[in-house]
Amino acid sequence: MSTAAGPPTERATGQPAAPPAAGRERNTGEMVMSLLLAALGVYLLVDAGAIAVPGSSNTVGPRFFPYAVGGLTVATGTALAIRTLRGDRGPSDDSEDVDLDAPTDWRAVAVIAVAFLAHAVLINVIGWPLAAALMFAAVAWALGAVGVVRPFLIGLTAACIVWIVFVKALNVALPGGVVLEYLTSWF
Amino acid sequence: MGALGDLAGGFADALTPLNLLFALLGVLLGTAVGVLPGIGPAMTVALLLPVTYVLEPTSAFIMFAGIYYGGMYGGSTTSILLNTPGESSSIMTALEGNKMAKAGRGSAALATAAIGSFVAGTIATVLLALVAPTVVDLAIGITAADYFALAVIAFVAVATVLGSSPLRGLASLCIGLYLGLVGTDVLTGQERFALGIPQLSDGIDVVVVAVALFAVGEALYVASRLRRGSVQVLDASAGWLTRQDMRRSWKPWLRGTALGFPLGALPAGGAEIPTFLSYAAERKLTKHPEEFGKGAIEGVAGPEAANNASAAGVLVPLLTLGLPTSATAAILLAAFQGYGIQPGPTLLTTEGPLVWTLIASLLIGNFMLLVINLPLVGVWVKLLRIPRPYLYAGILVFASLGSFAVNADPLDLVILLVIGLLGFLMRRYGWPVAPAVIGLILGPIAETNLRRALAISDGDLGVLVDTWFSRIVLALALIALVGPIVLRLVKGPRSTPEQLQADGHLEHRDRDEAVPTGADREDRS
Repeated sequence: MSTAAGPPTERATGQPAAPPAAGRERNTGEMVMSLLLAALGVYLLVDAGAIAVPGSSNTVGPRFFPYAVGGLTVATGTALAIRTLRGDRGPSDDSEDVDLDAPTDWRAVAVIAVAFLAHAVLINVIGWPLAAALMFAAVAWALGAVGVVRPFLIGLTAACIVWIVFVKALNVALPGGVVLEYLTSWF
Repeated sequence: MGALGDLAGGFADALTPLNLLFALLGVLLGTAVGVLPGIGPAMTVALLLPVTYVLEPTSAFIMFAGIYYGGMYGGSTTSILLNTPGESSSIMTALEGNKMAKAGRGSAALATAAIGSFVAGTIATVLLALVAPTVVDLAIGITAADYFALAVIAFVAVATVLGSSPLRGLASLCIGLYLGLVGTDVLTGQERFALGIPQLSDGIDVVVVAVALFAVGEALYVASRLRRGSVQVLDASAGWLTRQDMRRSWKPWLRGTALGFPLGALPAGGAEIPTFLSYAAERKLTKHPEEFGKGAIEGVAGPEAANNASAAGVLVPLLTLGLPTSATAAILLAAFQGYGIQPGPTLLTTEGPLVWTLIASLLIGNFMLLVINLPLVGVWVKLLRIPRPYLYAGILVFASLGSFAVNADPLDLVILLVIGLLGFLMRRYGWPVAPAVIGLILGPIAETNLRRALAISDGDLGVLVDTWFSRIVLALALIALVGPIVLRLVKGPRSTPEQLQADGHLEHRDRDEAVPTGADREDRS
């Protein structure tokens, strides 16, 4: 069924300029994903055996469904790995702002992931508005915004407004940081 | 008619000034967020969920009704006015709508989409009100085994119908089922796959997963392949619907509704198939075949109506069976559960007033969309022009806010990032994300019913095919699973939207012939 080497989507066939190297790289990546999926299935099968089954439980206990899901996962992962090995490729997701011909910008992904993680750690230390503003600036910078100060100020203004709306008007629990909580304590 | 009386009661509850304000707020927020590029209806609902946390259930669901329809509407505005179409359910609208906008008929395209959405949404919501009590009557007698069969067909349909590759849909479904297993087993209280992390023993929050897969995953994916340069938003100032446009639009609206509602209501739903079919039908029935591919108004009116009608249709299995058949419906189900309400056959009796208020609010929200949206087109165009770095930074901020607000636990944000990275990889390799969300929320429901059925039968698997209902449903699931593989073997992959635009046939065609233009190509099938 996958003797034809052409990519399944027409969008892809319409772009003969795409470098073949990118195609090979993507294929390997999906292969790794499929094998990881199969490994997840194996983990499910193995670890399901470790789930404690209460003595009073009848024939179908808490292990049954994990075994079924594990089996399905192993089968799917293996089948997909074989398919990708034979050259089958999934169409990359299309979106309004995505340039399918662009090479993957791993640096931007890494910057955003680190900024997000830092923001998660910082929320309880410096408050949500400041942490969110820092992340906003870092992400905007990674995506090609000019400068860092302007994105930061925009992010800080937006975050403070959102914080006031959520905390003061909607009563959502959200640490505001010392300064903002002091300034708005008269609400 | 009992249903109409109940619906009148729902209107009485929904038509208070405060509730109308919530409906208006929901419609405005839903459209504004839905218009933003890269954000589909499911993500709109997931991102706006935290806003409703603090409200009491009735107001929250009134707002939700507005957000649901508003998000759908916003998506079609984006696909008509941006030079590059986006999410799957509005691809067909975008095909012709985009061409119309490029030809300077953008506001006519928006108008036929808006009125079509209103017509389809109203008819389909009224049908929902009429059908729901009947389905509930039928569903009361349903056994646990039948229920399991329904869940299976929903899994199969979502995995193999959404996205272009059934196997990749299954892969995504497996991830969702795994995420659904993490936590404490409901029936025996045993911990499963929690890795000793206390937060995981409560299970992974559906909202966190949905926001991670849709918002964070999308932001990372866009970041990895950002379309550089200025954003082109097509003009939508000149030209209104002419009398001829109206004459050409009203039949497609009704045909789109007729296709969208029943297909959306089947537990094999989603909006893609009906929009696909509607486009193919309009192309075949039109008196102006030469305009298709260059901006034919029927090609906007039909699919857009089908899209909205199926959005209402999806609510039938959700409200009467507790069965989500689209990613958006899965998030709505999570919202219900957040209020301690479990949709299912008993919902109409236990939470009758709430459901009828929700349905009435859908009709009210739909009307509001028609009235406010066309005048506000200028605002939506401004939203489309937001510089992309700020837009995606903002999406991430709101994603984090929504997930953090659930439990105020930074660990949730780490889970959000990990699953977001997974969502990024899935997008990159063409694994659809919707099946994962459905698997996560429907997996535990399927397991509970499976075990209930097997407990009654003392472990005899035969109980699963004991009733005619479950036999038929499981057989259909098998056909849906095997059918595409067989068809693929025999005839090659499905035609893509672009091929459909090129030659108007909805069929499987040989892979070698899958060339971009419809010209000089012979049909082998």
